[in-house]
Amino acid sequence: MSVTFRFGTPGDLTAPSADRLTVGDPRIVDFLAKLARKLLAPAVARKHPELGSLGYFLRPAELHRAVEKMRRDDALIFPRGNVFHLPPANVDTIFVYSWALSALAGNHNVVRISSRSAGAAETILDALGEVAADADPIVARTQRMVTYGHDDAITGALSTWCDLRVIWGGDNAVDTIRKLPLRPSARDLTFPDRTSWAVLSTAGWRAADPAARRAAVVGFANDAYWFDQAACSSPRTVFLVGGDGDEVRAEFLTLLLEVVDARGWVVDPAMAVEKRVNAYGLAAIGAAGALDFPDNRITALTLTGTEAAPRYWIGAGAFPFAEAGSLLDLVPAMNRQDQTVSHFGFTPAELQAFATELGGRGVDRIVPFGSALTFGAIWDGYDLPAEFTRLTVLQP
Amino acid sequence: MSVFTLSQSEKESVLLKELSALTEHHRERCEPYARILDASGFVAASAVSELPYLPVRLFKNLELKSIPDDEVFKVLTSSGTTGEVSRIYLDKAAAAEQQRRLAATVQTVLGPKRLPMLLVDTKAMLKDRRSFSARGAGVLGMSTFGRDHVWALDNDGAVDLDAIRGFLEKHGGQPFLIFGFTYLVWLHLYEVARDNGLDLGNGILIHSGGWKKLIDQAVSPSAFREALAGVGLTDVHNYYGMVEQIGTIFLEGPSGGSLYCPDFADVVVRDPETWAELPPGKPGLLEVVSTLPTSYPGHVLLTEDLGVVHGIDDGDWPGKRFSVLGRLPRAEARGCSDTYRSAA
Repeated sequence: MSVTFRFGTPGDLTAPSADRLTVGDPRIVDFLAKLARKLLAPAVARKHPELGSLGYFLRPAELHRAVEKMRRDDALIFPRGNVFHLPPANVDTIFVYSWALSALAGNHNVVRISSRSAGAAETILDALGEVAADADPIVARTQRMVTYGHDDAITGALSTWCDLRVIWGGDNAVDTIRKLPLRPSARDLTFPDRTSWAVLSTAGWRAADPAARRAAVVGFANDAYWFDQAACSSPRTVFLVGGDGDEVRAEFLTLLLEVVDARGWVVDPAMAVEKRVNAYGLAAIGAAGALDFPDNRITALTLTGTEAAPRYWIGAGAFPFAEAGSLLDLVPAMNRQDQTVSHFGFTPAELQAFATELGGRGVDRIVPFGSALTFGAIWDGYDLPAEFTRLTVLQP
Repeated sequence: MSVFTLSQSEKESVLLKELSALTEHHRERCEPYARILDASGFVAASAVSELPYLPVRLFKNLELKSIPDDEVFKVLTSSGTTGEVSRIYLDKAAAAEQQRRLAATVQTVLGPKRLPMLLVDTKAMLKDRRSFSARGAGVLGMSTFGRDHVWALDNDGAVDLDAIRGFLEKHGGQPFLIFGFTYLVWLHLYEVARDNGLDLGNGILIHSGGWKKLIDQAVSPSAFREALAGVGLTDVHNYYGMVEQIGTIFLEGPSGGSLYCPDFADVVVRDPETWAELPPGKPGLLEVVSTLPTSYPGHVLLTEDLGVVHGIDDGDWPGKRFSVLGRLPRAEARGCSDTYRSAA
C-alpha cells in the first residue's frame, strides 16, 4: 500500500493520537489566517481567481464569525473527532473549504487528494506546506492530506478510523465508498450529483440600467466558466422568466460574449466538439428546438420546455434556455437533485415565494448571479459546522 | 479498375448532388436526424463543406437509422475507447454496397484476383467477443479479399515463425497480401522478418490502426515505411476508416505519405475554432463524407481525429491527399462528480 503525504506529518494515518484540539483552536485559526494571506497574494489571485474567494473565506474575521456561530447556550460543543474527507478530483478548492471548516471545529482530518489534482490544488498544497513551516507542529500532526490509488484497503481503514466520512462527488462515488463500512457510531456526510440553474427576470432585466446588466453578466460568467461549468453549483440552463425573452436573451448573449472576450477565455477543440455532441444529442431527442453557435465559447440552445432541461454536464459555455411565465411555474421542474438557483432581476418577495413553494423538496441555495460558486458554511442543505462538531449536555 | 479517378472539382460536383439528396433522404426517414437539421436551421448546401455534419460520437449515444426495424439486416458495433458502443444499422442493399465498394477500393492496389493472404494477427482473437467487434471485424472484412489464409500469430498471440516461413515458401515467389494492424505489423512481422532474414519482397501490405503505440516508440509513418523497405516490403498501404462509415476506406497511395479519397468519398478539415474549412497545410478536425451510408445518416461525419490535407490533385491519384495526425483528447470536466472514478 502506498500513500503519498501531500501535507502533514507522515506516519500511520489511523494510529491513536494524544493531540487534542478545541473548537476554534487558536493554533488552527492562526494557521488558516496565514494560509488566507498567502492565497490572497496578488500573484496567486491573478493566476487562480477562484483562490481569491477561498482566501476571503479563510480571513480571521470570517473564521471568528464561523466559530462564534458554532457556540450554543444549551450544550457544550466539541470536535466530532476524526474526519475523513474524499473531495472531488477536479474542483480544486472544494477540499480546502470542507477541510478548513472541519479543522476549525478541532477535528483530526485526513483528506484524500486525487492524483489528478492540478493547477490551483498544487498552489494550495504549496501554500499549506509553507505556512506549516512556521506553525505549531500540532497542525501537521493532526491535519493530513494524502494521495493514494483506488485502494479499498486504505479507504476501508480510514473509514473505520473516522467518526465522520465526507464524500464529495457524484452518486457513483457515494455508492462506491458506502460499500466500505463505518464504525457503528460514525456517519457519512454525502454530496451526490447536483444540478444548478440560473433564473433571469425579463422584467427585472429591462428595468436594470446597462451597468447593472453588465455586472449581472460578469457575475454569471464567473459562475459558469470558472470550473468549466462543471462544479455542482455552476449554472447550466438559464430560465428566462416573465415572457418576451427573445430580446433579453440576445442582449444577454452579446454581453456574455464581450465578457468572455475580455477575460481571454478560450475553449479547447475537445470541449468544442463535446458541446456539439451534446447539443446535437439534445436536438435529436427533441429537447432542444434550436441550436445557436454564436462563438466557439458559447453554445446556446432553445429548449422545447422547462422539463427538457438536461441534468448532466453538456460542456463549458453551453447554455440551454427555456422560458417560464413566473418563478412559481418552475417549481414542478425542480427536484431533490437541484442545488443552486442563481438569480437576477427578481424582487425579494418573488424569491421568497419561490423558496416557500419549493418547500425544501428541491434547491438548497438561491443566490444572486456571481455568488453561485461562493462556498458557505451551509451547503447542500447541511449546516457544516454543526456536522463537524458534537454536543455534550450538562445539567448541574 | 480504379475508384481513384475524379479530380477534386469533378468529385465535389458529384458528391454535392448525391450527398444533398442523401441528406434529404435521411431527413425524411430518420426523425432524430430531421430534428437536428431543423434545430440547426439547415436548408441547403452549395458546397460539400456546407453539408450538415453529425459528430461521430452521436452513434454511440443515439439510435440513428433511416430504415424500418424489419429491414435491418446487420447491426455493426464498435467499442470505443470509453466503453460506449456505436451502433450502425445496415439493410441488405447497404451491406452489399459497402462490401462491393470496399472490394473495388482495395483492388486498386491488389488487382482483381484474390491473392494468398498472411494475416498478422491471431485466430484466437476472433473468439474473444469483446475485441471481436473492432479488431475482428476489420480482419474478417479484409480476409475476403485473400485466399489460403495463414495467421502469423499463434493462439497465444506469439509469433508463429513456422507458419510464416511455411507461407513464404509456398507463396512468397508470387504477389501475396499481408494484412494487419499497424503496430502488430511492426512488432510481429517487421522485427521478425528483419531478425530472421525473411523475404517479403512480393508482399502487398495493407495496414491500419492508430499510430499512437508506434509514435510512443518513436516510429513515425515515414520511418515505418523505410524500415519495411529494409525487409523488401515496398508495396505498403496504410488506410483510414471507421465502422460508422463502413465500406469507405481512405487508402495510402503507392508513393506513401498520403491517404487518398475514393471517388464516392472525401474529407474536409475544419478549424475547431471557427469551424470553417481549412486549406491544405493547416491541421484541424477531420470530417469524412461518403455516399455509402444510405441506411443511417452517416454520410457526413465529424470525427474526433485531427488531420491535414497535404495537396489537391497533385499526388499519385487525383483529389485530396491527407494524413491523420491522431486523436483529439476527450474533453474532461473539472466537475464535482468524479471523486472516486477510476482513472483512465
